[in-house]
Amino acid sequence: MTDHTARVEIPRTGPGPRAWLALTAHEGRMVRRDTAGLLIPLGMPLLIMVMNGGGDSPAAPGLGGMTQQTAFLLPMAMVTVVAIVGVINMPSFLATYRRYKILRRLAVTPASPSMVLVAQVVVGLLQTLAGVVLVLVVAAMMFDVAPPAAPLALVAAFVATTAAMFAIGMLIAAVSPTPNAALAIGLVAFFAIMALGGGFGNTANLPDALATAGQYLPFGAGLESMLAAWLGEPMNAGQVGALGGVTVVAGLVSARLFRWE
Amino acid sequence: MAVIEVEDVRKRYGETVAVDGVSFTVEHGEIFGVLGRNGAGKTTTVEIIEGLRRPDSGSVRVLGLDPVRDRKALRNVLGVQLQEGTLPDKATVGELVRLYRSFYADGHDPHRLLADLGLDHKRDTFVDDLSGGQVQRLSIALALVGKPRVAVLDELTTGLDPRARRDTWELIEQVRSAGVTILLVTHFMDEAKHLCDRIAVFDGGRIATLDTPAGLVARTHGESDASLDEAFLAMTDDEEPRR
Repeated sequence: MTDHTARVEIPRTGPGPRAWLALTAHEGRMVRRDTAGLLIPLGMPLLIMVMNGGGDSPAAPGLGGMTQQTAFLLPMAMVTVVAIVGVINMPSFLATYRRYKILRRLAVTPASPSMVLVAQVVVGLLQTLAGVVLVLVVAAMMFDVAPPAAPLALVAAFVATTAAMFAIGMLIAAVSPTPNAALAIGLVAFFAIMALGGGFGNTANLPDALATAGQYLPFGAGLESMLAAWLGEPMNAGQVGALGGVTVVAGLVSARLFRWE
Repeated sequence: MAVIEVEDVRKRYGETVAVDGVSFTVEHGEIFGVLGRNGAGKTTTVEIIEGLRRPDSGSVRVLGLDPVRDRKALRNVLGVQLQEGTLPDKATVGELVRLYRSFYADGHDPHRLLADLGLDHKRDTFVDDLSGGQVQRLSIALALVGKPRVAVLDELTTGLDPRARRDTWELIEQVRSAGVTILLVTHFMDEAKHLCDRIAVFDGGRIATLDTPAGLVARTHGESDASLDEAFLAMTDDEEPRR
């Protein structure tokens, strides 16, 4: 339909919904075919939950037969899922794309490389959701699980935690010079916030300053906010604010520092 | 009708002058060669034409569009094959062509394009498992899938065996005969001589010579059997070419 010798009207529009869908499906395939990256965020939190979940602990008040242990392990597994996806996996993908000039290649098509970032976030969210559902299903099969006392507050706390973890992931992707650096920084950041936030057990033995910092870093702040919501207790405004603060600061800094090549 | 117009373009990175006043035009349906050693300013010039870099001064128009200001429009009609452009390992040939097709409002049918490029039997093969020549053909497919009116091909046949190079050349001539204007960046004299209507020889950020392949040879030696290689070396510095 296009006569090559004639002057042809050049479309000035960007890519449409079809391109967004295709790119998101493509990123989904990339994540699915990365076996370790697919399985670890789904498997590791489950493993931690199941291995720690057998013990006897007093029942949590007002939650039927659900023990305090289970009430802690459930949000803990959920936060671990989103932390692995956001802080370890996503930056590693994006740093690899930059290293191998995949972002640059997209920059010379109508699709902008920023679409890849959005697609990665969407796929990461879907993977997180799958991990959370898996955690809930397995927990319901193995333990006495009572529904959260404040479900909406729980969802809100989880959304805030997810936003903070993904913002940290974007920051790591922005500053990492190589894929290996992204993986290393992601792993260190993940284990640091997890250890300080109580993911490896009680933080009472940590120096006070570290334990306090851990409560406000996204793992600890997310975990304790979600635990409070599950038990129907008020959330700590400082911790919720910290999640928002991390999201805004890490998001802005990564937007400023992100290198496309 | 000039499709690419480059006028007195300059670009420096800190103290290093990468492009030092380059001007040329490429006509509709032409295969225009950009030849030169590493560091001669070829890639920077081409990246400015693609809108990936902004010139310090001078002007560039592609199909009348400013590559930076009108980048949205230009992206729809410009097909690019990047030097060392790598593709995701764990995607298949068919998936990538369909993905890139989705970026453009108008474009080739992915099946037909892969058949034309001799890649139809590799449709379900991961990029990881392709030979160098197949990756090259895939990257050409991705440059062409949006039915571009201008194609920029950088280091088209680097790393290909002689057979694959010949096949690629044939393909480029077919693309041109379909009305696509082609800017070809290359190190290889034989490739430039075989494919290009005109060649700009870059040296030290400037165009040292701009002529037809035959003209380039005649210009330096005046002997018909002189190779373009010799002409090229005579036109650029007499230092050893950098590798």
